Amino acid sequence: MTGPILSLRGITKSYGQGNALDRLLGRDTRFVALDGVSLEIARGDVVGIVGESGSGKSTLASIAVGLTKPTSGEVLLDGEPLSALMRDHGGPWRRRIQMAFQDSSSALNPRKSVSRCLTETLALRGVPKAEREAEALAMLTLVGLGAELAPRLPHELSGGQRQRVGLARALAMKPDILIADEPVSSLDVSLQAQVINLLSRLTRELGLTLLFISHDLALVRTLCSRIIVMRKGAIVEQGPCLDVLDHPTHTYTQLLIAAVPKGIKGRRQHAAAAQIASPISTARESAG
Amino acid sequence: MSAPLLSIEGLRVGFRNASGGLVEAVRGIDFSVEPGEAVGVVGESGSGKSLSMLAVMRLLGSPARTTGGRVMFDGRDLLSIDEARMRAIRGRDIAMVFQDPQSSLNPALTIGRQITDVVRAHRRVSGTEARRIAAETLERVGIRDAGKRLDAYPHEFSGGMRQRALIAMAIACRPRLLIADEPTTALDVTVQAQIVDLIAELRRDLGIAVIFISHNLQLVAEIVDRVVVMYGGKVVEDGPVEAIEREPRHPYTGLLQACVPSLTGPVGPLVTIEGSPPRLGRMPQGCPFSPRCPRAESRCETQMPPLVVDFDQRFACWRPL
Amino acid sequence: MRDLASTLRLIDWTGWLGAGIVVIMVCAAIFAPLIAPYDPVALSIEDRLLPPDMVHWLGTDQAGRDVLSRIIFGARASLAVGIGAVVIGALIGVSAGLFAAYKGGLGDQIVMRIVDGVASIPLLVWAIAIVGILGVGPVRVGPLMLPNEIKIVLLVGVLFSPVFARVTYAVASRVVGADYVRARWLQGATHWDIVTGDILPNCLSPIIVQGTLLVAIGIVVEASVSFVGLGVQPPQASWGSMLSDARSAIYSGEWWLPVFPGLAISITVIGFNLLGDAVRELFDPRSEARTLVA
Repeated sequence: MTGPILSLRGITKSYGQGNALDRLLGRDTRFVALDGVSLEIARGDVVGIVGESGSGKSTLASIAVGLTKPTSGEVLLDGEPLSALMRDHGGPWRRRIQMAFQDSSSALNPRKSVSRCLTETLALRGVPKAEREAEALAMLTLVGLGAELAPRLPHELSGGQRQRVGLARALAMKPDILIADEPVSSLDVSLQAQVINLLSRLTRELGLTLLFISHDLALVRTLCSRIIVMRKGAIVEQGPCLDVLDHPTHTYTQLLIAAVPKGIKGRRQHAAAAQIASPISTARESAG
Repeated sequence: MSAPLLSIEGLRVGFRNASGGLVEAVRGIDFSVEPGEAVGVVGESGSGKSLSMLAVMRLLGSPARTTGGRVMFDGRDLLSIDEARMRAIRGRDIAMVFQDPQSSLNPALTIGRQITDVVRAHRRVSGTEARRIAAETLERVGIRDAGKRLDAYPHEFSGGMRQRALIAMAIACRPRLLIADEPTTALDVTVQAQIVDLIAELRRDLGIAVIFISHNLQLVAEIVDRVVVMYGGKVVEDGPVEAIEREPRHPYTGLLQACVPSLTGPVGPLVTIEGSPPRLGRMPQGCPFSPRCPRAESRCETQMPPLVVDFDQRFACWRPL
Repeated sequence: MRDLASTLRLIDWTGWLGAGIVVIMVCAAIFAPLIAPYDPVALSIEDRLLPPDMVHWLGTDQAGRDVLSRIIFGARASLAVGIGAVVIGALIGVSAGLFAAYKGGLGDQIVMRIVDGVASIPLLVWAIAIVGILGVGPVRVGPLMLPNEIKIVLLVGVLFSPVFARVTYAVASRVVGADYVRARWLQGATHWDIVTGDILPNCLSPIIVQGTLLVAIGIVVEASVSFVGLGVQPPQASWGSMLSDARSAIYSGEWWLPVFPGLAISITVIGFNLLGDAVRELFDPRSEARTLVA
């Protein structure tokens, strides 16, 4: 119980090994999504990972739950290597780590009702058949949804409701760690606030360890105690959330902070921010 | 002030649904844009903000169609002129930039070709002249080495550069009005800031009026003069950006501002707007916001409040803040 | 789910026409002995080559058999081959497509290259060649004696399977990447449950559309094989063999002999095509826009 609940050691992920001709000519065509990232998450931590597209934050999440195999490096879940655990595909260890997905339209099976989605999850957790219905309703209540949504299909739900059902599905496994990949980026601001408050409540009430992946610094500031800033597959800055955001040391963190819309107050700062950012990035850079 | 550049009067947009009934998504909106003015249209998805702008451009696709109102531009009603005239206005006088730069560009044609096509559609110029204009415009939107970049294909551009190229296409004919529909939503935050700056700059230097559609009030406030807040297919509030930001009168505007966390100040639970936006066809009888409004009383549920004018601000609320 | 009434409203008249033709043809095939006015194989020398009249609505052939009755009984062979081949093709093709899409990597490559191989076989030529080689008599496969019709069904089924495999593969490879499939995998659901419970149901619509269109092709294949004498054997009726027998009549003026079986084939093929288009329209997400209330 004293060690980190999740640790990533020297995770590297590269795509495209290059074809024979490229190798022969000594051309390096690989795209490195993650470059030797290490981090440790303590039990009960609420950690925000921020960065822009191509920073590798989503790849990192995907590797942490085992959806993607790292090119090198190791993921340890409570000190046990994930690669070893994964040999037992449906094993009880699955309950320890779950993921909530970003895109609310593909996160739920369009042909399964809310209640079916939750009860089949509960079945995999080993909840007896007789208790599943009641437990599914309890999960809905937990995420602030009413029982009347149970028979509905995903397209009959609003974006915010779908996102909550996705959360309920992940939580139905009773995970110790929840990885949420941009869980609110496709939602309207009013619904964003609802989901963020919900996540905040769940971490407090359930003692959930949360890895919150986002590009929105202000949301991370509201929710997380620790922040990790990533850029181009590497961690550039990390530390207690408020310290980092109030006194960023890395220029990239400063740039991200400057880019957050600030209303009328943002008008003057704007010109300054634009100057830090080089307006042109080469096509190769943008491939990420 | 002289006549407004664009004036939307009682615009309505509806869908024909499966049972043949008409469902209105935009239910009579009025606002105008002065020459050179920047107006932000703010609202959540389903508020009708994008639909109403597509209606202005006469770009509504089936099954949506305009069911009422006028759109006055240059003394003419855009909704009643013939399609040939409208085509001439579209792109030359009014240009539009969409949310997704990826799908707005033809992947099979070079950037230069796509810009010159727009130029030659509206101006009688030679190929070399069109190319010169294209290069100049591309340079103008901050793409370095524009002459060479003309021969690049969209996939060779990053997301931010594609959006710049689209803006170049839009301003190539020096329109008087640029409608930008969530132009930064698909982009990273740092790129978003650059694009917002670019639009502000073009407006200042070229005197183009801008309608900036967004769900983010904070973002809009950085570049516009006036904000129009839409909810449930109605304009619920509009006014100068300073007034809206300092003293919103409609409870929805107030909550919209409050529920976005900031990077300063104490950390605590976020202000939320409970419930979700009304669905089309299930619009409340009275104020569309009443089911979610903490200040709602019985009158709000049954009677739609009129848009009342208070100095330079307008709002539609029985119990304003 | 949209309710049934509003779903049905999405079908236009051509769709209903197609469905009507298909239902009538299927009923004719099933209830042939009840509907047919005469015995389709009963010979009657004095009734030879009678033109259509009130007694024999569609006339009689060279052996004095009633053409209408033969067309009604002929529907059995045509539809059996069309539908049977589609079912077999779907079983093989959908499994292959799902496997390849879900498995990915080397398994994907191997399965889909085999599919490409089968797809490169010219359908009709092979059907004719194989039946020609094996002969039109029953074939013994282990303890089973397969009649000629079953042989054709199996053969056409195998030849249809690449079409199903490719359609399934195309849709399934998109569905496999969907977050709801990843979520099921993360929960530790079995591969079987994921494939049958999450992937297959979301691939079904194009498969069904493809199926209805292939039934039409199956009917044409049966007619072609029977036309060259390698399908349904005399005296049993099939639309293709009836056309074949009517070859000489084209010159001697008995127009009803080629025209009515030909019409039966055309109308049924059109019926399945119209039904297929209607089904595609139903499953098309864009058609949902018409019922859009969100």
